[in-house]
Amino acid sequence: MEAKKKDVVQVKNPRTGHYVKIDRAQGQIIAHKKSDGPYKDVPIARKRKVG
Amino acid sequence: MIYDPAKGEYTPSVRTYHPRTFFLMTQLGKPVPQVVTNIRKKIKRLLDDRNYILLDAGSKVTGRDFLNKIWDMILSVPIGVAIVDREMKPTALQNAFYEIGLMQAYGKETIVIRTHGTEVPSDFVRTEYIEYSEKGRSFSKEFRKFIKNCEDRAGYYALMAEELGNNPILAFDYYRRAFLITGDGIYADRARILLSKSKGIPVCNQCPSVERSWL
Repeated sequence: MEAKKKDVVQVKNPRTGHYVKIDRAQGQIIAHKKSDGPYKDVPIARKRKVG
Repeated sequence: MIYDPAKGEYTPSVRTYHPRTFFLMTQLGKPVPQVVTNIRKKIKRLLDDRNYILLDAGSKVTGRDFLNKIWDMILSVPIGVAIVDREMKPTALQNAFYEIGLMQAYGKETIVIRTHGTEVPSDFVRTEYIEYSEKGRSFSKEFRKFIKNCEDRAGYYALMAEELGNNPILAFDYYRRAFLITGDGIYADRARILLSKSKGIPVCNQCPSVERSWL
């Protein structure tokens, strides 16, 4: 099982309702989804607990 | 980079941020159409309920150039709300649309409140809007929905900042946007941590590392 943090994740933009794909290693937005739903096989990043 | 609109030069001025503040863009000079006054009152009440502040270009007396004052205010707030009505003076409408465009260019949230039958320039057809009717009761509901969506966007900006940590300039900017909407000091703390890890990076004057008034 791979424990390493994935380099590419996706986040849903509440303004458009569409997902954006992020390359964490590069620190860049690499794609904007034009249709509904998330990208296949790309993990969805979740909010960190504040504290 | 921010350029002074009058001089065309890079401006290094440090401005004071106004978190949890909406900038109102509409006709201020008399005679103001009654419907504009009514909408303004409603917006003020809705914002008061959620502890947000409403500012307009007349809220601050600086004695300086009016355009510079508007720029400063626009850059210091997270959200802009424009009220447009066909009875408004054409010059007031033109100013409102200029200011919306400016806010959008700087990553601010914007909403246009337009009265029934008021046309907007085609460049703004994709700008979010709410149609206002004196008889309709949906305005307050729609405006509350917009506020809630802005709050969701703040969460999104914070998450983006975390995920984009390897690009400190971008991450700073997302934290700044999250901070401006919520006024939550946690985002300033996270930006500070990011800054402490990113010594020597070049930063522009829109980045929170330089705009230390909020840190």
